[in-house]
Amino acid sequence: MEAKDQKKHRKKNSGPKAEKKKKRHLQDLQLGDEEDARKRNPKAFAVQSAVRMARSFHRTQDLKTKKHHIPVVDRTPLEPPPIVVVVMGPPKVGKSTLIQCLIRNFTRQKLTEIRGPVTIVSGKKRRLTIIECGCDINMMIDLAKVADLVLMLIDASFGFEMETFEFLNICQVHGFPKIMGVLTHLDSFKHNKQLKKTKKRLKHRFWTEVYPGAKLFYLSGMVHGEYQNQEIHNLGRFITVMKFRPLTWQTSHPYILADRMEDLTNPEDIRTNIKCDRKVSLYGYLRGTHLKNKSQIHMPGIGDFTVSDVSFLPDPCALPEQQKKRCLNEKEKLVYAPLSGVGGVLYDKDAVYVDLGGSHGFQALDEVGSTHELVQSLISTHSTIDAKMASSRVMLFSDSKALGSEDIDNQGLLMPKEEKQMDLKTGRMRRKAVFGDEDGSGDSDDEEGDEMSEDDGLENGSSDEEAVEEENAEVTDECMTAKGVKRRKLEELEEDSEADLPAFADSDDDLERSSAEEGEAEEADESSEEEDCSAGEKGISGSKAVREGSKAELSPANHQRDRVNLEKSLLMKKAALTTSDSGHCTAEEVFASEDESEESSSLSAEEEDSENQEALRKKLLKPSQVGSGQKLGSRNLIDETSDIEDLLKEEEDYKEERNDPTETSGALKWKEDLSRKAAEAFLRQQQAAPNLRKLIYGTVTEDNEEEDDTQEELGGLFRVTQPDRGCKHKADSLDCSRFPVEAPHDWDLEEVMNSIRDCFVTGKWEDDKDAAKVLAEDEELYGDFEDLETGDVHKGKSGPITQNEDVEKEVKEEIDPNEEESAKKKHLDKKRKLKEMFDAEYDEGESTYFDDLKGEMQKQAQMRLKKHRWYKKILKSRDPIIFSVGWRRFQTIPLYYIEDHNGRQRLLKYTPQHMHCGATFWGPITPQGTGFLAIQSVSGIMPDFRIAATGVVLDLDKSIKIVKKLKLTGFPYKIFKNTSFIKGMFNSALEVAKFEGAMIRTVSGIRGQIKKALRAPEGAFRASFEDKLLMSDIVFMRTWYPVSIPAFYNPVTSLLKPVGEKDTWSGMRTTGQLRLAHGIRLKANKDSLYKPILRQKKHFNSLHIPKALQKALPFKNKPKTQAKAGKVPKDRRRPAVVREPHERKILALLDALSTVHSQKMKKAKEQQHLHNKEHFRARQKEEEEKLKRQKDLRKKLFRIQGQKERRNQKSSLKGAEGQLQ
Amino acid sequence: MATQAHSLSYAGCNFLRQRLVLSTLSGRPVKIRKIRARDDNPGLRDFEASFIRLLDKITNGSRIEINQTGTTLYYQPGLLYGGSVEHDCSVLRGIGYYLESLLCLAPFMKHPLKIVLRGVTNDQVDPSVDVLKATALPLLKQFGIDGESFELKIVRRGMPPGGGGEVVFSCPVRKVLKPIQLTDPGKIKRIRGMAYSVRVSPQMANRIVDSARSILNKFIPDIYIYTDHMKGVNSGKSPGFGLSLVAETTSGTFLSAELASNPQGQGAAVLPEDLGRNCARLLLEEIYRGGCVDSTNQSLALLLMTLGQQDVSKVLLGPLSPYTTAGLISKPQVGIRSASRVPRAH
Repeated sequence: MEAKDQKKHRKKNSGPKAEKKKKRHLQDLQLGDEEDARKRNPKAFAVQSAVRMARSFHRTQDLKTKKHHIPVVDRTPLEPPPIVVVVMGPPKVGKSTLIQCLIRNFTRQKLTEIRGPVTIVSGKKRRLTIIECGCDINMMIDLAKVADLVLMLIDASFGFEMETFEFLNICQVHGFPKIMGVLTHLDSFKHNKQLKKTKKRLKHRFWTEVYPGAKLFYLSGMVHGEYQNQEIHNLGRFITVMKFRPLTWQTSHPYILADRMEDLTNPEDIRTNIKCDRKVSLYGYLRGTHLKNKSQIHMPGIGDFTVSDVSFLPDPCALPEQQKKRCLNEKEKLVYAPLSGVGGVLYDKDAVYVDLGGSHGFQALDEVGSTHELVQSLISTHSTIDAKMASSRVMLFSDSKALGSEDIDNQGLLMPKEEKQMDLKTGRMRRKAVFGDEDGSGDSDDEEGDEMSEDDGLENGSSDEEAVEEENAEVTDECMTAKGVKRRKLEELEEDSEADLPAFADSDDDLERSSAEEGEAEEADESSEEEDCSAGEKGISGSKAVREGSKAELSPANHQRDRVNLEKSLLMKKAALTTSDSGHCTAEEVFASEDESEESSSLSAEEEDSENQEALRKKLLKPSQVGSGQKLGSRNLIDETSDIEDLLKEEEDYKEERNDPTETSGALKWKEDLSRKAAEAFLRQQQAAPNLRKLIYGTVTEDNEEEDDTQEELGGLFRVTQPDRGCKHKADSLDCSRFPVEAPHDWDLEEVMNSIRDCFVTGKWEDDKDAAKVLAEDEELYGDFEDLETGDVHKGKSGPITQNEDVEKEVKEEIDPNEEESAKKKHLDKKRKLKEMFDAEYDEGESTYFDDLKGEMQKQAQMRLKKHRWYKKILKSRDPIIFSVGWRRFQTIPLYYIEDHNGRQRLLKYTPQHMHCGATFWGPITPQGTGFLAIQSVSGIMPDFRIAATGVVLDLDKSIKIVKKLKLTGFPYKIFKNTSFIKGMFNSALEVAKFEGAMIRTVSGIRGQIKKALRAPEGAFRASFEDKLLMSDIVFMRTWYPVSIPAFYNPVTSLLKPVGEKDTWSGMRTTGQLRLAHGIRLKANKDSLYKPILRQKKHFNSLHIPKALQKALPFKNKPKTQAKAGKVPKDRRRPAVVREPHERKILALLDALSTVHSQKMKKAKEQQHLHNKEHFRARQKEEEEKLKRQKDLRKKLFRIQGQKERRNQKSSLKGAEGQLQ
Repeated sequence: MATQAHSLSYAGCNFLRQRLVLSTLSGRPVKIRKIRARDDNPGLRDFEASFIRLLDKITNGSRIEINQTGTTLYYQPGLLYGGSVEHDCSVLRGIGYYLESLLCLAPFMKHPLKIVLRGVTNDQVDPSVDVLKATALPLLKQFGIDGESFELKIVRRGMPPGGGGEVVFSCPVRKVLKPIQLTDPGKIKRIRGMAYSVRVSPQMANRIVDSARSILNKFIPDIYIYTDHMKGVNSGKSPGFGLSLVAETTSGTFLSAELASNPQGQGAAVLPEDLGRNCARLLLEEIYRGGCVDSTNQSLALLLMTLGQQDVSKVLLGPLSPYTTAGLISKPQVGIRSASRVPRAH
């Protein structure tokens, strides 16, 4: 083998390397041209024509400016949410197969059944949420609004289908996402040529619809029921590297594509009242902008709601941590599809099944079994449990699983029995926790919710004990069951926490407490108080508390715990510096935890109560602080004698009183480097400053006032109302923005003056700089501050912040206070919990859901609308139609109008065929310039194109005036010269008075004016015209009558329909549909019917010409009036001749003779004629001959003559020649 | 229930303006009950009614329902429409009362607002038009609201109780507000002021100027206080005088103080010298309080910050005035979250 001669080296003759070598060679020979062509040959590049140069320059500039866009601020977060890939196509085109193939391509997993969105990690920096879109128009509309990329599947064997075009139209209206076509069923073509032709045809049609050059993928055929791997791989690569241009609507609104839903309603409530208010929590990645808590949201297909709480969750499908590898690990190729039962939780109607072991346990599930899986998951844990707790959702569930002992009967389908039980427990617990958490946060006056939470509290209390007992029993149990494993893990956790943080149990306990307080359940309070007592001792009771905490508020609690931990460690560090006791620390933690709980609760009316209780508990728990707490009342603001520590303590007390969590930790250090005076000043300032957090997010004072009003009762009948003076004063005080100075300084004193000297340019700059320095140091040490909203502790920067540099960074940080958290936890799923009661029966109660909605959106929108050219019918005014505007789909009653030249908006009965027209309707507020589309119905299958109209929102104006023409008619009943009396137009003199001076007209076109009402027939008036009327004239007046827009707004609630009937939503029907359904025929106007036309014959009168005219006429035109010849008189009449028979014979003979004669004559004449003809012919012949003869003769003659002449000539020529010779 | 979520309800007439303004901006209806319910003279006052009328004028499609006694008000905001409007303000309060709210609303109109307000330009209760012109307008400019049409002009001065002043305010429309970073108050480089007198001796203004300078000169020499004596029709219906002072810093922030004489027939006569001195002291107090925005405009700055883009704005404020804190309370009404940080040092 070695001996085999290798290929000889061949020199490269082309390519960059060869060129380089050539150059070098030339250079070596001193022939090289270092200079470029421009320099070498300047003439070739000289300006030939200034004009042309200017033109070319102009053109390049034009092209450049064309490319300019308004800069789009890229606001995508560092870790963007998954890209929404919508796989769209008509039925049976291969959508599900494609999704399955894609998922398999990215994750090496096979999903058999796909329901809802599937999120997968497709690359180091990209995740995809793939969702299938059927041909239900609702779905198409909703998905077109959220899609980033659309894979448009087209059955090549069939060609384009209506759905494809409908979807393209929807996309055009709602912002055009990236669209990629995918041709399937290409294997059905037998001939290659036909295939090519079809591809080309489809491609060009696709290009006209999307844009020329749009990418079209060909999936050539199926192998074992799947697409070819290579093709899918290519498609996947395309998707992963694709770039997107942000769509305005999407980037300017927060939205969530919910990939998971939980019904948190108490099943008991549903059982008792199937139409009870539901609490639902939705999970998904937040896209667009930031979602504000308590904001109004719209769920397409369901309606408008208010978010009761939004919280963060660890990312279930996290991007891999930053590493320097080219491709993803197998482990990092996550897939998350809860609705399909993958990567977490499977939801059934009344149970939640947890899939343990992450996405890869999924594969092992079949062979190994659950217990082993658990063990495996334990073994595979490399990170600490705390970290896992933070990042993993599964752990979370398994954590609380150990606690579970209830609802064993409810069984899931996927998992073995014991796990199910645990799962169920967790599911249940989860619900509870959320109740407890949310109840405080929700509307305080919601009685139902409160009751529920009370129940929960009770259950908590009781079940806790049970759980603990169980666990204790289980701890002793040493067999390696799943529970055992779980237990161990839990204990580890406890140990961890205890080792790290001595007061962890306390803090968690407080947490639990605060949540219990929010529930306002006294029993729960009591039980928790007991636990408080026990919490003092460490050990199992502590762990119990921990468990309690986690149990009480599952996922949020976990978060909080993490936060608490963090805070703790921070404080520990501080404790090393300062001499503050641990009790102090815990107190602070209490605040922190409270913060969080309170933050989650917005307008909890029980805040005061909780504060009181807090104070109470503190007394119980920390007797060291009782003293200071008692000092409270007798606190002197400026305590001269006490040292700074005391001062600070006081300050704390003060804070405790006011429940101010801010700055405590920072304040501790004031004593170390600032003078006592500064501390004092600070104190004063703190006192002066109102408690911001409490003010902003705490209770509104009004509620207290109400409580105060109903205090005492006299004899059970009368109530003594003792209005709180202060409160009332506050509520009705002067509304003024001035900030009066309460304690003015004496500005004549030098030192007071000196205090603000450095505020002026003339002041000492050095001093100030010093101050700044000090401040900077201060910042360095205690720059941490607490975000009042989230209760996060922001740690100060290590160096002084140079503003310009760090603004960007800071902005990032502050936009999302949890960004910092994310730094720790890496991945956050934004979870939105939504608790909203909505009545199934809308029409009960005084103010119903829809009433409120009406109040909310009483706005009229004007839009420019055009009937879609493919829609077969025209649209009728006042026919209900379904609009898709913004996020919403709703049915409303539009009025179509067109604007006249004078700006009048005239109502149209129908939309024009091929023209734009205006439309106005009553609906939600939508920004101008938003595109919309209209469909006649969302239910069933319509044979034709479904999109009825498209357009854009022009304006929002309540005061638009749409008018329709109204013609009032009347008849003259008395006619003078130009004045007529008209009746029948009005009913009263008052009406006439309103229209005095108005223009009227007759049908024949005589114009006039209304003058004044007449007394005689009611409503008659005098009018003057430009000419005299006839009695047969009809007078009319053209007026414009404003029409009101029907206030009808009906959101399309198609998703509230039961499964399988989602596409059967039908809202208000049009009158036409109603008539058809009920078989009511419209009574036609008799006059409008067509009848056979009978035309009577017209008789005209004779023409009469006046005598004078007759005289003047020329004779030709004069009527000829010659009298007829009169009768011949008798005497002139000749008598008849009567002949004798003889005479008659003679006469007959004579007649016969004359006849014979005439016949003879006739014959003779004919003969003569013939003879003549003959003769004529003969003569002609003779003549011809004669002519001929003459001609010949002449010819002969001329010939001879000619010959003679020639001879003469010849002879003369000869003679001449002779002479010449 | 959904009711709570959709319309907000309050009790008492306190912070009526802010509630209505925020309601208009957020589009959420408000219901205010118990407006001076226990007062001898219950219900809305004239000036409040006038304010509501003004809101109605600048919006389109608002629904306002007031019960018979005027103790309950339901306000469902319409669209901010703008355009050119004239409004006769109540003389019980200054034009500043109305103008403050207009400053919050004007940038968000549909059409540029051009409004003529008639009433009391300077009084003792509300920030005067001079002060707003000197401080609020530069503040709005920081947010990117400026242009030729952005101006506030005092056509006539009117003092309480008669009024008779006239102010023209015009403001362009801005789709987006610039985020601000006002964290460095800078040093005060000059002090300007306006000493006005109407229907009194023109000498009054000069006396005020002298006395005010006597105090301020100790701190900075660059002081110029204009005297503005209006006559005839331009002087309104009642006599009076006053002073407004504005301190400008090197970083372009403005701090202001003002004082006006007692209205005719109310309280004792005020000496112009005292008034000048007191006003100067008030300015010093204001300087002592510090911050990049003076106390009258705190809430305006905070509001515009919250209504701006997603980008974070920063502002350093002195101690918060009660009015501002009320504004902060109402923030959740707009659905806005703010990370507040209590400045530690001053």
